[in-house]
Amino acid sequence: MALLDVRNLSIDINTAQGKIRVIDKANLNIVDGSIHSLVGESGSGKSLIAKAVLGLHNENWIVTADRMFLGNIDLMKLSSRERRKIMGKEIAIIFQNPRSYLDPSKKIVDQMREVLPKKLSAKHFLKKMTAKSTHQQAIKELLHKVGVQNDRDVGNSYPHELSEGICQKVMIAMAIANNPRLLIADEPTTSMEAVTQAQIFRLLFKLNQLHNTTILLLSNNFGSISNLSDYISLIYCGQTVESGSYKQIINSPMHPYTQTMIKTILEFDENIAHKSQLYTLPGSIPPANQLPIGCRLGPRCPKAQRTCVTNPEAVNYKGHIIRCHFPTLDEK
Amino acid sequence: MLINNEFNEQKIQSPLQYIWHIFKGKNIAVIAMWAIIAMLMISIFCDYLMPFPHSQQHPDMLLLPPYWSDGANPIHLLGTDDLGRDTFSRLLKGIQLTLMGALLITFIVSILGVIVGATAALMKGFKASIMHHLLDALLTIPTLLTALILIVLFGMSYENSLIAVSLSLLPQFIRGIYICIENELQKQHIIALRLDGATNLRLLRYGIFPNIIEPFVTLVNRIFTMAILEITTLGFLGFGANSEQVELGSLITKSLELFYLSPYLVLFPGLAIFLIIIIFNIFSEGVRHSVIEGED
Amino acid sequence: MFNYLLRRIYLLCITAFVLTLIAFTIEHLTVHTHFRENTFTHYLNYISAILQGDFGYSIIDKKPILATGLIAFSSTLELCLFAFIIACIVGVPLGIFAGLYRNNGLDYTIMSLALIGLALPVFWVAIIFSVLPNAFGWAMPIDGNISPIYEIPVVSGFLLIDTLLVTQQYQFDAFLNHMIHLILPSSVLAIFLMSEIIRLTRHAITMVMRSNYIKAAHTKGLTRRQIVFRHVLKNALPPIIHQLRLQLSTIISFAMVIEIVFSYQGAGIWLFDSIQQGDYLVLSTAILIISGFILFSSIIIDLLLVFISPTKRKSLYADQ
Repeated sequence: MALLDVRNLSIDINTAQGKIRVIDKANLNIVDGSIHSLVGESGSGKSLIAKAVLGLHNENWIVTADRMFLGNIDLMKLSSRERRKIMGKEIAIIFQNPRSYLDPSKKIVDQMREVLPKKLSAKHFLKKMTAKSTHQQAIKELLHKVGVQNDRDVGNSYPHELSEGICQKVMIAMAIANNPRLLIADEPTTSMEAVTQAQIFRLLFKLNQLHNTTILLLSNNFGSISNLSDYISLIYCGQTVESGSYKQIINSPMHPYTQTMIKTILEFDENIAHKSQLYTLPGSIPPANQLPIGCRLGPRCPKAQRTCVTNPEAVNYKGHIIRCHFPTLDEK
Repeated sequence: MLINNEFNEQKIQSPLQYIWHIFKGKNIAVIAMWAIIAMLMISIFCDYLMPFPHSQQHPDMLLLPPYWSDGANPIHLLGTDDLGRDTFSRLLKGIQLTLMGALLITFIVSILGVIVGATAALMKGFKASIMHHLLDALLTIPTLLTALILIVLFGMSYENSLIAVSLSLLPQFIRGIYICIENELQKQHIIALRLDGATNLRLLRYGIFPNIIEPFVTLVNRIFTMAILEITTLGFLGFGANSEQVELGSLITKSLELFYLSPYLVLFPGLAIFLIIIIFNIFSEGVRHSVIEGED
Repeated sequence: MFNYLLRRIYLLCITAFVLTLIAFTIEHLTVHTHFRENTFTHYLNYISAILQGDFGYSIIDKKPILATGLIAFSSTLELCLFAFIIACIVGVPLGIFAGLYRNNGLDYTIMSLALIGLALPVFWVAIIFSVLPNAFGWAMPIDGNISPIYEIPVVSGFLLIDTLLVTQQYQFDAFLNHMIHLILPSSVLAIFLMSEIIRLTRHAITMVMRSNYIKAAHTKGLTRRQIVFRHVLKNALPPIIHQLRLQLSTIISFAMVIEIVFSYQGAGIWLFDSIQQGDYLVLSTAILIISGFILFSSIIIDLLLVFISPTKRKSLYADQ
C-alpha cells in the first residue's frame, strides 16, 4: 500500500529573473514500511519536494500536482489546521544542522516535554503533580531508544552546549515520540563525521525494523545510503529521473545519470589503475536561470540526441520507473 | 506559462540598477524622495522665494492669523508675529538653517565616522583598546549633555552649535560602524580576501563596504534625525542661534509667551520639523527595504 | 559567570577613570581657580576631593553640589521609570502584534504610529501637551512636581516614596497630587519610549519567526499561539533589552528637555538654570553623576541579559 503518493508535482518560484520551474513533474511513491531514499546532488530540489508535501513552503511558491495522497488523505485539499494536526501525528521531519532547529533558550528536557503524546499530560490537577515523573520517565526512555546514554546530563543542557551528533539524536527522539507513520530525514548526516553518520543510519534502520516506521531519506551521497534503503529515487535538477527498488537500480541502472552515480561509488579494489581519472559527467549543474528545456541532463548526457529537448515520459518496467528517451534496456 | 526558453536575451541588471528598480516601485518612498528634493530646493533658494525679507517688520499688521482664518491679510500667507514679521518667510529661512545645518552635520559625521570607525575596527593591539575605552566613556554621556557642554566651552552661536552637535553625534556613529564592520570581518569571504593578499584599503573597498550598505543607511538616518532634534533643542533652550538668526527651535522659544494669542506661531515651526524628519525617515526606510530586497 | 562579572568591573573602572578625566578637563577649562598649580597636581587634588565626596559648592546658593545634584537626578529617574512602565505596558503588546501580523493593515497602522512618534520633536510635543488639557477643559497641573502646599522632607529624592512616608500628616493626598503632576510629563516621554519599543519588538519578533527552530516547532504541530508564547517571546527578549540599554542616554536627554518645559524639578532644570546663571562648576559634577548612573545601569542590564539568555556570554567591550 502506498503511504505517500505524489504524481507530477511542479513548483514554480518567482525570482528576479522571472518565473522559474524548479521542480518539474516529480513523482514519488513510497511503500508502507520501507526505507525510501531520494538521492540527488545539492540543489537538486530534494528539500523543496519534502517541504511542498508538508505544506511548509513559502507563500510565493506555486505548487501544483496531479495527486498528493498520504494514505487516504488528500494533502492538497486540507486546511492549514488539519494539516498541522497531521504534521504532529503522522509525519515527522528531522533536518540538517540539527542544532539550529532546537530552541536555544530552553533545556532539552523542556523541549522534549512539548512533543510527548497528549495522554501523558494530565488534565486533572492532582495528577499534574505526578505527571512530572511520568514525563521524566518517558523522556528517559526516548533518549535511551535513540542511543543517548547519559540522559540526565543531556536533558539538563542547552542546545549550544551539545555536539551535532547528540543534537541529531535528540531531534530524532523528538520526532519519534508520537510514533509517526512517516519520518522524513532531510540530509540528516551531511555535516557529521563518519562514526556519527554510521550511528545515525543504524538508528534509522532500527526504527524502521522495530516500529515499522516508513522513512524517506534525502541524501546527496549514493554510497552512504546504499546498504540501507529498500527503494531509491534519483533526482537531477528538479526532475525525478529514475526510481525503483534497490536491487533493480544497482543491478540494472537504466538512466545515464544513475549509471554515473553508481560508477562514482568508490570501491577500493585493484581494478582501478594508479592515478587514473575518476569518472564524472562533463560539465556542471546548470544554474537556476538557465535550466535546459526538456530533459535537464541533456547538455551533459553521453547519450543525448535531438529528441532530448522534449520532456521524456515516465515508463514503468515492473516497478522500475524511468524517464529517459534512451534508457539502457537489458532484459534479465 | 513557463519561461524556460533560453532564446530570449536575458537582461540581468547590476545590483545597483536592480536596487534602483525596486526603489522606483515603492510609491511612498519615491514621493518622499521628491519631497526631499523640493525641500532642498527651497532651502537653497529660500532668499528668492520669500515674499518678504525675514526680518522686515510690518508694524501695522501684528499677530495676524493664517489666511484661512478670519481677520487675516492674504499677503501674509501664514500670518505674522508680534513684531509684524511674516511667518512664512521666517519659516522658510528657518527651514534653510535647520535643514542645511543638519545635512552638513550628517555629512561630516558620516565621513569622519567611517574613517575613524574603519581604522578602529581594523586596528589591533594597545592603541585599539585605548580608542575603544575612550569610545565607551564618550558613549555613556547623553548626547544633549555633550552638546551643551561643548557650547558652554565654545560660546553660543549657530555655527558653534553645529560643531557641538557633530562632535556629540560622532561617537554614536563610530560605534554603529564599528559593530557593522566587526560583524563583516568575521565572515569567510574576508578571510579569503586576506589570504589573497589584500591590503586594508582594498579589503574595505571591495569586501566590506558593499555589504554594509543596509546598516549604513539605517545609521545615517538615525544620525540625521538626532541631528535635527538636537539642533532644534539647542535652539529652543537658547543655546544655539541668537536672536538675529532664525532657526526653527528658537522660533518656537520666541513665540512661547504668545501661545495663547496666536498658537500658529508655535505650531508651524514644530510641524515643519516633524515633516522634515518624517519625510527623511520614509525615504531612508524605502532605500533600506529596496537594498534588502535587492540582495535577496 | 564570575569571570564575566570581573571583566565588567574592570571595564567599569577604566570607563570611570576616563570620565573623571573628562570632568576634570571641563572644570579646568571653565573655572580657573588654581592658577599656580600645574595640571597634574590639580588633577590629583580633584580626584581626592571627589573620593571624599566634596564636589564643590555652587556659586548661586552655596549648597554642596553633590547633594543638590543627586536629589535633582532622582526626580529625573522617577519620571523615566514611570514613563518606562507606561511605555512597556502599551508598547510591547502592540509590537508583538505588529511583528506577528506582518505586512497586514494592523502592522502598517502600528508602524505608522511608531514612525510618527519617533519623528516628533520632544519639546514641541511637551508644549502641546502642556496646553492641551486646557483646551479640553481639564485642570491639570503643569508646573513642578507637587503643589507647594505640601512640605515633603527630602529623604530619598524619589517623591513617590517620600510622599508615602508622610502619610500620617497628609494621608494620601500628597501622593495623589504628585501622581497627577507626573502624568503629563511621563506621557510625553512615554510616547517616544513606546515608539522605540514597538519598533524594536517588531524587529526582534520578525527575526525570531524566521529562524529554524520556529520552523521545527511548526512541524511538531504546535498552534501559533503556543509557538509565540513558549518559544518566540523568550528568544526575542535579549535583543530588545540590548538595544534599550544602548538608548538609555537618549532617554535621559529627552527627559531633561521635558523637565525644562514642564518646570519639573529635575536634573534638566537644575543644569539649565545653573548654566544660565553662569555657574559652570555643576557641569563636571553633572557629567559624573549622570554618566555614572548610565554606566552602572548598563552593567546591571548586561548582567540581567547574561542571566536570561545563555548564549550571550562572550563580549569584551561594553558596547556590544
